[in-house]
Amino acid sequence: MIEAYLERASTYAGDIDNLFSVIFWIVVLWGGLAEIILFYFCFRFRKKEGVKGQYISGEEKHQKKWIAIPHYLVLVFDVFLIAGAISVWYNIKQRLPEPDLTVGVVAQQWAWTFIHPGADGVLHTEDDIKTIDKLHLIENTTYHFELESKDVLHSFSVPVFRLKQDIIPGRKITGWFKPIKKGEWDIQCTEICGIGHGLMPARVHITSAYDHQQWIVQNTPGSSGQAYASASN
Amino acid sequence: MFQRMIFSYFSFRSAAAACAISLTLLGSSLSAQDLDNGKKMYQICTACHGAEGHGNQVLNAPQIAGLDAVYLETQLRNWKEGIRGAHPDDTAGLQMRPMSMTLKDEETIKDVAAYVATLEAKIPEATLEGGDATKGQAAYAVCLACHGPDAGGNAALKSPSLRHQNDWYMLAQLKKFKSGIRGSNPKDVGGMQMRPMSMTLVDEQAMKDVIAHIRSLAEK
Ligand code: HEC
Ligand code: HEC
Ligand SMILES: [Cu+2]
Repeated sequence: MIEAYLERASTYAGDIDNLFSVIFWIVVLWGGLAEIILFYFCFRFRKKEGVKGQYISGEEKHQKKWIAIPHYLVLVFDVFLIAGAISVWYNIKQRLPEPDLTVGVVAQQWAWTFIHPGADGVLHTEDDIKTIDKLHLIENTTYHFELESKDVLHSFSVPVFRLKQDIIPGRKITGWFKPIKKGEWDIQCTEICGIGHGLMPARVHITSAYDHQQWIVQNTPGSSGQAYASASN
Repeated sequence: MFQRMIFSYFSFRSAAAACAISLTLLGSSLSAQDLDNGKKMYQICTACHGAEGHGNQVLNAPQIAGLDAVYLETQLRNWKEGIRGAHPDDTAGLQMRPMSMTLKDEETIKDVAAYVATLEAKIPEATLEGGDATKGQAAYAVCLACHGPDAGGNAALKSPSLRHQNDWYMLAQLKKFKSGIRGSNPKDVGGMQMRPMSMTLVDEQAMKDVIAHIRSLAEK
């Protein structure tokens, strides 16, 4: 359903979509049923000659069952929802699979700095490549990301990954994703962070390992007299 | 024969240049900027630079009134293209960056710049302490060629006026030039000129001294 509007570019995007669909259809089912019954009763107990309207307080057994039975059924459905939600939450937010690479993400009013490991594949070394508002990733690679903020609360959202994680100043928050599709997509800040909040969009570029290698060669600091990979790359 | 070719080449070049110059002059006199549009687009800028363009130190936003239109345009264009304020360590520059993106095209940039250039500048309050204007005077000998004997700038050299710059802002910029946070992008023509000049100021004290001198010029 959702993938018709927004592509899935991470391994867990499908899980989120499925959970979303389950919630959606359960809500459609109960919402639809409630409406159907409401309209049916409106019709069935419409105004009739000689019949006086009566006040129902809903305390008698045969009346209460109209509330009690759906109530228990909703709870049964909740069990499915909670089970589904916990497993997805565990997979995405609690579990940290071994990473192939790690990237740093620093949010500030109103820009993203992405820190990529250079040719050595290790973050926080001399050859790290820093970019503004552009994240470069390799397809089919498990990444850890380390989120940090220079100032206020921000939130790191990559819609095609179905990923959203708040960023809290003073903390380093680690999470993971594995891109599975080549292309270029949006990164957004999803926590109001000041006047420029709506103006801090960034892009994620997902390429093959070979293309990424080329990018590293071109952007490694010092290699071509470059102090940093500027935003115009 | 060869000489003639060179000669005709040069005369062609200079004729073309003369044409280009007269066209630009004509163009600039014809296309007066739309100040109303500039004022409208300036609305968002007031949040940080204030309605009069006097700046707000709390937001790191300097006074921009008192700068000439050409310099303003250049800076806005540079920001928009990631030439200024796109360095990961340029925290204040990165705050200005998205704001430049609200100016959708070249015409809008020119309109805003023209409008800002009409704003009345004031001599900003001193916020730095410990600068020695007399020592700064010697250091300013280097700056003089471009920023002028009265610090009023030199449009032909694309050097901005420093007369109405906040002292804290100038200190921040000098540090950024020196460390390469500003003016190290190969496309930053003006910044690349200014950067080596910042190297003549050995430390923060030297920067404060020269700023104290610039302020004394402005107050004269
Ligand atoms: C969110 C606050 C904010 C807003 C809104 C804002 N600016 Fe800025 N502006 C800044 C900051 C911070 C700086 C200083 C950047 C630095 O230190 O390098 C700056 C610097 C500038 C400069 C450079 C001045 C110089 O002397 O080089 C110009 C020009 C400028 N802004 C114009 C504008 C215009 C035009 C707008 C509206 C489209 C605008 N600004 C909106 C924060 C803002
Ligand atoms: C070769 C000419 C030249 C010399 C000499 C020079 N500057 Fe500059 N300066 C420039 C230019 C050009 C710019 C504008 C840079 C840009 O376009 O970003 C500038 C910008 C500046 C700025 C930032 C202004 C602003 O509004 O952001 C300061 C501060 C400054 N210069 C101070 C100095 C000082 C102090 C000296 C002497 C040590 C000096 N300059 C010497 C050309 C020069
Ligand atoms: Cu934000």
